[in-house]
Amino acid sequence: MAPEISTTSMLFLLVFVLIPVSLSYMYALNLSGSITWSSFRGAAQLFLIGYLLTFLFELPPLVGIPIMLTVMITVAGFHAAKKGKGIPGVILLIFGILVTVEVVVLSMWLGFGMIEFNPEQVIPMSGMVIGNSMVAIGLALERMKSEFNENHSRLLAALSLGATPKVATQPIIKRIVRAAMIPNVDGLKTIGLVQLPGMMTGLILAGVSPHLAIRYQIVISLSIFVAVSVSAMLVTVFTYRRFFNKNLQLTRVENDGSV
Amino acid sequence: MEIVQWKDVSNDRLNNISFTVLENQIITLIGPSGAGKSSLLYMMNRLDDTDKGTILFKGKAVEDYPIIELRQQIGMVFQSPALFEGTVKDNVAYGPLLHKRDWSNEQTVELLEAVHLPADFLHKPIEELSGGEQQRIAFLRTLANEPEILLLDEVTSALDLRNVEIIEDFIQMLQKKGKTILMVTHDVEQAERLGDQTFYLEKGELIEVGETKEFFREPQTDRAKRFLYRDTEGADE
Repeated sequence: MAPEISTTSMLFLLVFVLIPVSLSYMYALNLSGSITWSSFRGAAQLFLIGYLLTFLFELPPLVGIPIMLTVMITVAGFHAAKKGKGIPGVILLIFGILVTVEVVVLSMWLGFGMIEFNPEQVIPMSGMVIGNSMVAIGLALERMKSEFNENHSRLLAALSLGATPKVATQPIIKRIVRAAMIPNVDGLKTIGLVQLPGMMTGLILAGVSPHLAIRYQIVISLSIFVAVSVSAMLVTVFTYRRFFNKNLQLTRVENDGSV
Repeated sequence: MEIVQWKDVSNDRLNNISFTVLENQIITLIGPSGAGKSSLLYMMNRLDDTDKGTILFKGKAVEDYPIIELRQQIGMVFQSPALFEGTVKDNVAYGPLLHKRDWSNEQTVELLEAVHLPADFLHKPIEELSGGEQQRIAFLRTLANEPEILLLDEVTSALDLRNVEIIEDFIQMLQKKGKTILMVTHDVEQAERLGDQTFYLEKGELIEVGETKEFFREPQTDRAKRFLYRDTEGADE
């Protein structure tokens, strides 16, 4: 079992923050403020979440779990939606996808008896799935806007030949979904060989046997992989049509987010 | 016979445009940048819509055609070739495949020869083509759709003299084969060489329409005169 980290040793960690701050000064990166603020903000957020989780874990599961999942999905949804700014109805779509993914994954975990319906297990594992889906959705939306901009003339050419938006955007959609999946595919290939994944490390540090920790890690890694793939696929498939109007005309997409 | 008619057509770029195009003619559209020449072509292919007025294609409003069918019948080639990923064959056969029409490699080769490209270009990846070759393939891609009207938007503006010659010869050959062509060009000499009729546009308005020879010999409007005079002096539009 790992020893408890004292407040004094936590404060010593600040020394580590001084290293990137000094580097920023040395190379005039103009990032010192940002590094300091992010470090303090990150630490403060985690402390707060620590207290919140302790509170939620003490509530009955049917109360604590829905509250925390709602908070997670809301924050993740609004964060991912920033990347799709300007796409009509994107926020509702993102919430729909996050809820669907969470319901499917949670049902799978509970259905196969992989975890129990208690906040200690459901909340951290759902957090990982929702967080990774949020990143995948954001990346897919960002990539979609840049692909539409870069391929504007190709899309026009395809439409002018009589292609439907679905056919015209096929190569783009393939590239977006591929780009969203590849980091996870690569990650799965080297999992445990290059670095021990976070969840497994946490369990081992908490005194759980590596055999059990690995089982949990496999469950979460595969769940994240499924969630990321499905989220990227759904957001792409349901969003591309919004770049066209009813007369199969392309609406100019700007990188600043306006459609 | 009339194939296209515009009746008081306006949108945010064009103002009250009316004209008629006869079958098998080449119409050259000229005018300064921002005159609305390309917008006019986009509206014919329904890549853009009218706010007011009617565009008739073979006597029927373009809105009354299924869009996909209209776009197959009124083909467009752009200033940038914008070829799709893959080979020359993939690009040329794109339209026929889209419209579920039989299309053979021999037909592609026949088209390649018409624009002075060898048969072994069939399987060439598009990245290996020069700019001029890419534009010729873009032309063939539209043509393989067998459109009745071809809209050409500054198709030679980025090409060298040799490629311009090949494409101009090809345009004239297409006219002989019965196609109707509307082409936007910045090159007034090209407009004079190829056109049967010339439209002069400025700031979204159709200022003058005339038989090409007549138009260049003696433009009727002061604005067209100013444009041609300035253009022949080589000033930038």
